[in-house]
Amino acid sequence: MKENKIILKDQRMLLLFVIFAIIACVTVINPKFITIKNIVTIFGQISVIGVLTMAMSMLLISGGIDLSLGNIMALSSVVMAALLAKGQNIFIVIFCGVITGLVCGLLNGLIIAKSKCIPLIITLGTSQIFYGLSLTISKGRIMSFSGVFDVLSKTKFFGVFPAMLIVLILMIILAYILMNKTIVGKRLMAIGGNEKNAYLCGIEIDKYKILIYSLSGIFCSVAAIVFSARIDSVTANAGLGYETSALTAAIIGGVTFEGGKGSIAGAFLGCILMGVISNAMNILQVETYIQTIITGIIIAAAVVFSNVASMRGRKC
Amino acid sequence: MERIMSDEKLLKIKDLKKSFSGIYALSDINFDLIKGEIHCLVGENGAGKSTFMKILSGAYIPDSGDINILGENYTKLNPNLSKSLGISIIYQENDLVQNMSIAENIFIGNEIKKNVFFYDIKTAINKTSQFIKELGIKLNPLDKVADISVADKQFVKILKALVTNPKILIMDEPTSMFNIKDAKKVLDLVKRIADKGVGIIYISHFLEEVREIADRISVIRDGKSISTYENSSKNIDLRVITKDMVGRSIDSFYTREKNQIGDIVLEVKDLKLYEEFEPISFSLKRGEILGFSGMVGSGRTEIVRAITGADSFYSGEVYINGSLVKIKSPKDSIKEGFAHITEDRQALGLGLRASVLDNIILVAIGKIFKGLFNNVKKQKEAISSLINDLHIKVPSVNTEVIYLSGGNQQKVVLAKWLLMDQNIYIFDEPTRGIDIGAKSEFYSQMSKLCKEGKSIIMISSDMPELISMSDRVLVIRDHKIETELIGDEINEENIIEKALGVN
Repeated sequence: MKENKIILKDQRMLLLFVIFAIIACVTVINPKFITIKNIVTIFGQISVIGVLTMAMSMLLISGGIDLSLGNIMALSSVVMAALLAKGQNIFIVIFCGVITGLVCGLLNGLIIAKSKCIPLIITLGTSQIFYGLSLTISKGRIMSFSGVFDVLSKTKFFGVFPAMLIVLILMIILAYILMNKTIVGKRLMAIGGNEKNAYLCGIEIDKYKILIYSLSGIFCSVAAIVFSARIDSVTANAGLGYETSALTAAIIGGVTFEGGKGSIAGAFLGCILMGVISNAMNILQVETYIQTIITGIIIAAAVVFSNVASMRGRKC
Repeated sequence: MERIMSDEKLLKIKDLKKSFSGIYALSDINFDLIKGEIHCLVGENGAGKSTFMKILSGAYIPDSGDINILGENYTKLNPNLSKSLGISIIYQENDLVQNMSIAENIFIGNEIKKNVFFYDIKTAINKTSQFIKELGIKLNPLDKVADISVADKQFVKILKALVTNPKILIMDEPTSMFNIKDAKKVLDLVKRIADKGVGIIYISHFLEEVREIADRISVIRDGKSISTYENSSKNIDLRVITKDMVGRSIDSFYTREKNQIGDIVLEVKDLKLYEEFEPISFSLKRGEILGFSGMVGSGRTEIVRAITGADSFYSGEVYINGSLVKIKSPKDSIKEGFAHITEDRQALGLGLRASVLDNIILVAIGKIFKGLFNNVKKQKEAISSLINDLHIKVPSVNTEVIYLSGGNQQKVVLAKWLLMDQNIYIFDEPTRGIDIGAKSEFYSQMSKLCKEGKSIIMISSDMPELISMSDRVLVIRDHKIETELIGDEINEENIIEKALGVN
């Protein structure tokens, strides 16, 4: 029992160790890996997934899950692109993008809180709704942003750090403060840890569930803005697979399916690890197909690891 | 019909002992079972019946004692060994798969194979029909379990237990959910199974039914075998049995300093949990401990869950200090001054993976600790005196409660509510599974609360606790208040007789 406790406590330290070990190994093979330019590239690559990971982690810690995160992001992005194409003002565009995320999250939250159904299945369903909406609005075409978000991708602080990294850092700080420092966060964590107990302690579970799903919807639209800035265009299927990546990063970071446990900082480290691995594979010129296989192995291994720790000798 | 019993001993248990973290659940069990006999096992809640059963099923390993099955000696069993020795158990819980047919359900885990890949459903159906015919019951093996009556489901559970041709069949309260007519059908079936030479250990709270079917009756109390009675003529005096179930030495009682009892604080009028139930009314006074007694499943817990808003109810009114209150959720009841220390602390009362601090402040955050942000320093200060007063032993307030002992966990639950300083405390099985030290800590805290003018409803299966702590006891049976006991009337015989419905 004690041994497991140490592993759990130090999962973040373990992650840091793994990250540095990989960096060290890859740098020995190819010194280009450790340059500031490449580090900035890694963070650029995880900026979208990082924001979504924050949303996923907050949900998991509260005892929920949202498999529609990727499609909410895509829908939000598509809505913004469509409004831009109609010649709308950039502020209205951003406002509507955020509202889109909020409404999608609110819908998820309402259904989950009121129907008491399993969030996994509900969001699997709503995910299709959002995807269908994106297809309908975009008519299946690629939509361009014509560089309106260049401020985020092209502005560089100290000549290297793109502005969207600041967005990512802001969202991490926001998620961290919410889950660790506020009373709302304490209650969300209590719901995730034992919903029945939380209810009997007078916490309005429905209210908090709706709140956290709505908030994660807003995180998705922020991810959509970062995504739009990076790629400068969007298609309806742009969000494909993002929710699994976010889930993986959170799980690697020690957040569990059980809820009530896990840290935002850990989830972010999980995100960095994923980014580092993927970038290392590029630098080492691992074939794309093989990369996918390796990523899959990492996902499975992370889940097994987190489960071994939580089973604690139980056989069933 | 008189059964012919041979002398063949199926089971002989000698000096069986089993403890959990130092507390004896079974300390001296002696028991035997003869071929073709129905041997009933009776005892209060927590007397050790289910622990005994779990040892026979191989789920628990005994500390010491001899288990002799069909002449062979064993010091312990495991689930597979137990099964292969011919022991089959029917649990109270419904473990049938609703969407499968009767025949499929009966052969789960013992599937008949056609070949390596396929399952022989035809033979399963034929065998099931044959079974049904042999036992003289009416069932269609192809019916889906979801579509049949509760009594028929019980039959299916029994058939499922019989499929392995057991020599020893253990039944745990098989009739507890039935009306008299259905119960009779089940009892008849039990008798027919015994006629076929199976030895049956039958556990029940319904003493009249025990008298009707038992060949022998054994009483266990506080984990000890107390007595065994012959009942071949089916006319044993049930008062003898209840006396054995409750008789207890004086030293297991706690002396509570009684205090002044004031006006009515809480009044429940015509509470109906469901439309078909009879209405319940009772009241609670300032400084009083009102005990709720009754067998598990009698409705004691459901009543308090309805009052505190944990569950909804059909109709009824709750008055606090004379004024009508509407309680729709635990949030409302907390506002009205209720504290609800629930049964089953692990499932309902704690976040096991959360820290001691986070568990204790859970009700108070947002109420006592206001504002947007969590003031950990202030919270730690607020709970430190509680941790000292209750003697909660923790390395640090940041320790996850999963690492605490049962007694300390239960104290954490109590601390959570004491922090709120409520007026009406509801304790549901407050001392179940905790050590003597923590128990007496709970009793002194309860006495202290009453002296401070708080009021307590205490649901308990622990007789000494109920008797020594309560000012008044309501005995609940079948979702009704069977009787109210005050002063000298509060004794074990009275409580158990009313709770079991013995007249």
